[in-house]
Amino acid sequence: MTDINKLQAKESSLFRSALRFYELKQYKKGLKTAEQILKKNPEHGETLALKGLFLCNLGRKEEGYAEVKRGIKNNIRSYICWHVFGLIHRLDKNYEEAIKCYTMALRIDKDNIQIVRDLANLQIQMRNYEGLNETEYQLVNLRPNNKQFWIGLAFSYFLLKRYDSALKVLEAFESSLKEKPTESKYEVSEMLLFKNLITEESGDLEGALKHLEEFEDKIVDKKSLLEARARILVNLNRKDEAEKIYKQLFDRNSNCDSYLQNIFKCNNINLESPSDDDVKKIIEINSELLEKYPKSLILKRTPLIYLKGEEFNKEIKEYLKIYFIKCVPSLFNSLKDIYVNPEKAKVIESTALEYYDQLEKNGKFDGDEQKQYPTTKLWILIFLSKLYDNKRNSTKALEYINKAIEHTPTLVESYMLKARIYKHAGDLETAMNIMNEARELDLQDRFVNSKCVKYMLRNGNIDEAEKTAGLFTKVDSPSPLADLTEMQCTWYEFEKAMAYKNKGDNGLALKLLHQINKHFNDIYDDQFDFHVYCLRKSSFRAYIDLLQYEDKIKSHPYFFRAAVALVKLYLKLNSQPRKTKEELEMEKYANLSPSERKKALRKARKAQLKNAQTQVEQTQKKEDNTTNKKTDDDPNGEKLLNAKDYVEECVPFIKSLLEFAPNKIESHILASQVYILKKKYLLALKSLKKSLAIDKNNGEVHKNIVQFVKNCK
Amino acid sequence: MINIRQATVEDLLQMQNCNLWNLPENYQMKYYIYHEVTWPQLSFVAEDHEGRIVGYVLAKMEEDQSEPPHGHITSLSVLRSYRRLGLASRLMAQSQKAMAEVFDAQFVSLHVRKSNRAALHLYKETMKFDVKDIEKKYYADGEDAYAMRKDLIPGSANN
Repeated sequence: MTDINKLQAKESSLFRSALRFYELKQYKKGLKTAEQILKKNPEHGETLALKGLFLCNLGRKEEGYAEVKRGIKNNIRSYICWHVFGLIHRLDKNYEEAIKCYTMALRIDKDNIQIVRDLANLQIQMRNYEGLNETEYQLVNLRPNNKQFWIGLAFSYFLLKRYDSALKVLEAFESSLKEKPTESKYEVSEMLLFKNLITEESGDLEGALKHLEEFEDKIVDKKSLLEARARILVNLNRKDEAEKIYKQLFDRNSNCDSYLQNIFKCNNINLESPSDDDVKKIIEINSELLEKYPKSLILKRTPLIYLKGEEFNKEIKEYLKIYFIKCVPSLFNSLKDIYVNPEKAKVIESTALEYYDQLEKNGKFDGDEQKQYPTTKLWILIFLSKLYDNKRNSTKALEYINKAIEHTPTLVESYMLKARIYKHAGDLETAMNIMNEARELDLQDRFVNSKCVKYMLRNGNIDEAEKTAGLFTKVDSPSPLADLTEMQCTWYEFEKAMAYKNKGDNGLALKLLHQINKHFNDIYDDQFDFHVYCLRKSSFRAYIDLLQYEDKIKSHPYFFRAAVALVKLYLKLNSQPRKTKEELEMEKYANLSPSERKKALRKARKAQLKNAQTQVEQTQKKEDNTTNKKTDDDPNGEKLLNAKDYVEECVPFIKSLLEFAPNKIESHILASQVYILKKKYLLALKSLKKSLAIDKNNGEVHKNIVQFVKNCK
Repeated sequence: MINIRQATVEDLLQMQNCNLWNLPENYQMKYYIYHEVTWPQLSFVAEDHEGRIVGYVLAKMEEDQSEPPHGHITSLSVLRSYRRLGLASRLMAQSQKAMAEVFDAQFVSLHVRKSNRAALHLYKETMKFDVKDIEKKYYADGEDAYAMRKDLIPGSANN
């Protein structure tokens, strides 16, 4: 019997070139080469596996998996087959299975450096730091002259918080080198800062400080150097020295709030609840700095936060005047946190009104010689309108904004504000129309275009919104939404989903909300390519931030609101009887007259036809160039709508909410609802308790308690 | 209140959002991450008192070996409602300082749409950039770009 796994010389060389094609990402050529080998050796395991790998990379996943599995069956003792199996799992982001395959491969060929490296990558991705540490150790043993592996080992100790070992590894490696490797100034500097961070984290603050002094000249990132030094000095309670450094930092960036806060803290000021004495000190330090940095935005504002009574009144008058003259659109926003104090709010209002009167009467501020430009009055009007809108006094808000528009009919901001006032008053249609006027005043500006799109969606004008959004999306994109989805534009997807939901187009709403979840999964997967990259580039500190951030990416508000909306929608669907497709169609057009309904149905059918046609075209295109792009197999979200068990669909989102937004009451309210329905009473109880702890007066919570008791009986 | 500080990985999603609201040139998150982990010192954000990002500069070093080291502004934008505070110039000043100090950048470059007169004015008059070249059809929609440049004094930048 001939060995199916033996190749002739010619095929052997073909096999090697197929491997090269994989490295060069030339998958089509690779596939051809593999097929050529298989003509003569149809059962050759490793070639079958390779063929599967190429197929998977060309988007033909099912065939690919089948070939790889056949390959393994034919040659179960080949590390190549197992490695390939790992690679296709990795491609599918199925990291756990990939790790298993790599482990199998390494059992056969334990020193295969490529596989060991791939394994290390996966272990970081899976946050298996113990395993990573062993793997990095193995790499160092295999190639003791490779700097990257030593760094990897040190980094793995850092992740395990074994700081002493991390430092020792770095030192051992540096002293063992016969020649100094060529490194850029930047790399040297980043390595020094990394070592310093390790020392600081280990708690050896004195050591870290000394280290900074010793290598000061070699650290090119001066800002980080100063920040580290100041931070350490604060932690050593050497506040006088720390203050000096924070002042140096403030000199570099006199608009950085944290530097200013730290200067205050170094002067033993209690910023949370400052005493009169503290306020005095704050004002003193602040004015000293202001003299030196008259352009600083934060220094101008600080006194407004801390001063009270007459002193505040004097200060706010000056502040408002400066910014009215400068026509700053964000003036009211810059005072929002101060405005919550009712006494201060009153003064802000009366001052603005007073200024308006002065300009109305004399065209100048009282006591001034020079007349103001008309724009000053305009921005006072806008300010007043914003102020009343903030109080939800739409009559007055409108009165002032109309005056502003009368004064200057071409200012985009006035119309934007007017639209906002109508939105707040609940008149979404007028709001949308006015925002569209604003948009038309400046067609080049995407900001006002985006606002308009949002207002259109809020008013349910979905098609118009899509068209308007399309004024700024790529022309060659199949649709504006397609471009926005590719660019991970979650705000648009969310607003559009809500618009669909309000219309009862639940399938499309579900689809878009799922798409947002997918963005977050993609962003989580993005880190994979940076594991090797960051260590090679010596980007240790940014990389540490990246790992920590990715771990909690789903705590971002954009994810939170989408997940909450998704669960709510599923629960709503679950509470209603399932509808047939026809019933759903009819419902969509329920509010229309019979003739309108006919028209709408005709339009919908046309759209469907067109949709089907473009899909066919796309499939053809896809076959033409066999790209990786998938066609949408659920364009209207029907599959999502046909899910067997809506409550079950909620579970992964509930888990994310509980893990990443454990302090939000919505997470627990929804979790208790879902778990009651799933009859998981212990979990429901846990969330009920937590939601009560967050807000015991919340009506939803009490409804849930009633439900819980009813169900438990 | 406005706070200007170096961008961190945590800011990237909001920077992307700000970019999508404001500008026609958009990027996927991976590209933002690439900037942040490669040149963490060069990107800055402006945030309001609630921590909402109202402006940002996303910057990098050009790795073209044929020219002296220089920085490049990938994207700069400030929400329309936060204009007239000088945020763009302040963000730029921070980024440029870091380019010179950390990476020995000799100059900084950027592209601007030929039709974007407001931006052109800002770069030319306020930030003292010069038009170096016109790049035909630089943008995806076929529009030309001005390639602009500004020399940096190593180790410092005007504030």
